[in-house]
Amino acid sequence: MGASGSGKTSMRSMIFSNNPASLTSRLGATIDVEQNHVRFLGDLILNLWDCGGQDAFMDSYLSTQRSVIFSHVGVMIYVFDVESREMEKDLEYYRDCLDGLSQFSKDANVFLLVHKIDLVRDTERNAVVQRKVAELEKASGETPVKVFGTSIYDESLYKAWSNIVNTLIPNARNLSKHLRIFAEACSATEVILFERTTFLVIATSSRTDSSDAFPSGPVVLHALDPKRYERTSELIKAFKQSCSRLREEFRSLEMELAEFTAVLDEMTKNTYVLVVVHDPVIETAAIKMNICMARKKFEELQGDSLISEK
Amino acid sequence: MCAMSSSSSTAISTGTSRTKILFLGMRRSGKTSILQVLFDDLPVKQTFYLEPTMRVAKHFIDTVIPLEIWDCPGNVTVDTLGASLADFSTIVFVIDIRDLYQHPVSKLVEFIVAACQINPDINLEVFVHKAERLQEDDKIENFRQIHERVMDRLVDESPEFEQFPLNFHLTSIYDHSLREAFSRVLHKLIDSLPYLEELLNVFCSNTASPKAFLFDTSSKIHVATDTSPVDQATHNLCCDYLSMLNSFGPLYKSNANDPRTSRFSPTPAPTPPPTATTSTPTSGTSPVGTPPLPTSSTSPVPPSKPHFYPSAATSLSPSRPGTTLTYHLVTPHLALLALLPTTVYDMRRGLVEWNVVWFREGVREIWVSGLRGGLEDTG
Ligand SMILES: Nc1nc2c(ncn2[C@@H]2O[C@H](COP(=O)(O)OP(=O)(O)OP(=O)(O)O)[C@@H](O)[C@H]2O)c(=O)[nH]1
Ligand SMILES: Nc1nc2c(ncn2[C@@H]2O[C@H](COP(=O)(O)OP(=O)(O)O)[C@@H](O)[C@H]2O)c(=O)[nH]1
Ligand SMILES: [Mg+2]
Repeated sequence: MGASGSGKTSMRSMIFSNNPASLTSRLGATIDVEQNHVRFLGDLILNLWDCGGQDAFMDSYLSTQRSVIFSHVGVMIYVFDVESREMEKDLEYYRDCLDGLSQFSKDANVFLLVHKIDLVRDTERNAVVQRKVAELEKASGETPVKVFGTSIYDESLYKAWSNIVNTLIPNARNLSKHLRIFAEACSATEVILFERTTFLVIATSSRTDSSDAFPSGPVVLHALDPKRYERTSELIKAFKQSCSRLREEFRSLEMELAEFTAVLDEMTKNTYVLVVVHDPVIETAAIKMNICMARKKFEELQGDSLISEK
Repeated sequence: MCAMSSSSSTAISTGTSRTKILFLGMRRSGKTSILQVLFDDLPVKQTFYLEPTMRVAKHFIDTVIPLEIWDCPGNVTVDTLGASLADFSTIVFVIDIRDLYQHPVSKLVEFIVAACQINPDINLEVFVHKAERLQEDDKIENFRQIHERVMDRLVDESPEFEQFPLNFHLTSIYDHSLREAFSRVLHKLIDSLPYLEELLNVFCSNTASPKAFLFDTSSKIHVATDTSPVDQATHNLCCDYLSMLNSFGPLYKSNANDPRTSRFSPTPAPTPPPTATTSTPTSGTSPVGTPPLPTSSTSPVPPSKPHFYPSAATSLSPSRPGTTLTYHLVTPHLALLALLPTTVYDMRRGLVEWNVVWFREGVREIWVSGLRGGLEDTG
């Protein structure tokens, strides 16, 4: 949901159709509701409703189409253009949508995206987002919401969407637990599991903060870039695109750089794993071997978690 | 002016003789953008905020050869330049592709005529810039028109210019055409180019590689490639691969006290070459010894892996045979990028690495003699 031109279709096409940001300017306004089924993690089917934001459509969603639109909603994502000149009107529609949700889908999660933050100068970005967060939280009243500043031109979009899909993954906790065991086996500083087609982050295990530190062994705390997960998604997706321009398909990556050693490879049919190691003794071949051995376990895990949901 | 100099300008104060390149062009034709995108890692979108250049700014760049690039204000003339055109090896003239009026052409012609009088050997290059702004047909038409006008005006000056070697390139900071064009400009200035090409040819034939490049890692300009033709798509993929690797490094760099950071000295000594080999890849050159450079003798390196060389590989297309794109850093600023059949990379890794070592020896020899300032053609 969100006003016309706020960027809904653009972000959908980037995350789920792998379109580059430069092509979004060719998108026309969405007419009524565009429904999309996307496979996520293989067996999880997300049913995306991209609701055209022109006033006439919005009015109809809130009146005649109300029960169709607001029933069986798992997540509502409301997009606000950071430069919107009609914030009052946007907020009014937003509050009406919250009403609709509370009527038909009480348990839906609500995410608010303050979009196109690339249009705000770097130096002012934090302050602007903070202000919007306060404003939006106030407008949401009792409803718990999560607010993200986003732009299709940087990693912020991946951060927001990783958070969104995480609320939809069944048994995410179990996955994290096993990822941690795997990380320990690899002596990895960090292990990240990505969904294969979107490269959204679905689980991580990191030795960077104490709450997540390994229970045994000498604990070395590493301070890493806080944006690394989203940046990785962005980098890999961009590189996948370059490969496809050559009619090649990206398969795997191994790096022994000055700063660390890492392997990015298929974990299961539907996931990729990135293992980052700072111990200089460990070679990529050893990491690859570990990934190979962990594959079966993770296929099972994923199978289990999806069955238990049904 | 110092603020404008490149990040890789380590040798500014040492008296190395630098090869000088002059960038000329109308105001807002894109000169500063080009140089800052290439050499200062300026994000392309940020070029929008660049201030007009008011005085000559010099960039000092240490790539395979030391360069000094002059970025000039739009209104500079032969007289106000503050240096003789005899000092420059190359003039690059930047013209906005939509700028079909007489003015930039007159200016260009004025400089060419002056340069040829003083320095007949000078290389003259024209970047027809911001090419991505136009559709394919218009792009070619404007390019042709600019080319034609410049040549017509030159012949008007003197019929001697009829056969004048003036090189035109289509460029844009929004894609890798700029890097490709700059590579061509640079290649004419590298005396050791035939030698580097030969090293790459040998590498390719020994590893069944269809294409290999020696890239300057930060600017992503290739300083040499093997003699097989450059396919633009492959070149672009290599540039994108380098960008990705450049971004990954700092992303997972640990700020904690990390033994690894002391492991890689930026100028590692070469591995001793395999012993008792008479057939060195390039006949007539012997592997150099350890260059006289600072080494980190205290690094806690396990004996099994005496030296650490950053490298990476990405495997493409899951179907057999598949291609692997490899990366090996061979000097602090230069990396070997090669397309290899995945079968070769997976099954004959030792062979590949052996050839990388030989390649590295050869490049280091050139690089070290370049650092000493006395560049001699060894090829
Ligand atoms: N600067 C900037 N522009 C963006 C961003 N996201 C989208 N846009 C641009 O915004 C314009 C409108 O985007 P759409 O995705 O079609 O908007 P929409 O919300 O789907 O609009 P309706 O379908 O009419 O509701 C396009 O020209 C996009 O290129 C962003 O993060 N930053
Ligand atoms: N579309 C497009 N714009 C460019 C390109 N290169 C530079 N520009 C823009 O041209 C303007 C002038 O660039 P600048 O480098 O300051 O020009 P200078 O006066 O020649 O140094 C800036 O707004 C740049 O963003 C390009 O390849 N394509
Ligand atoms: Mg739309």
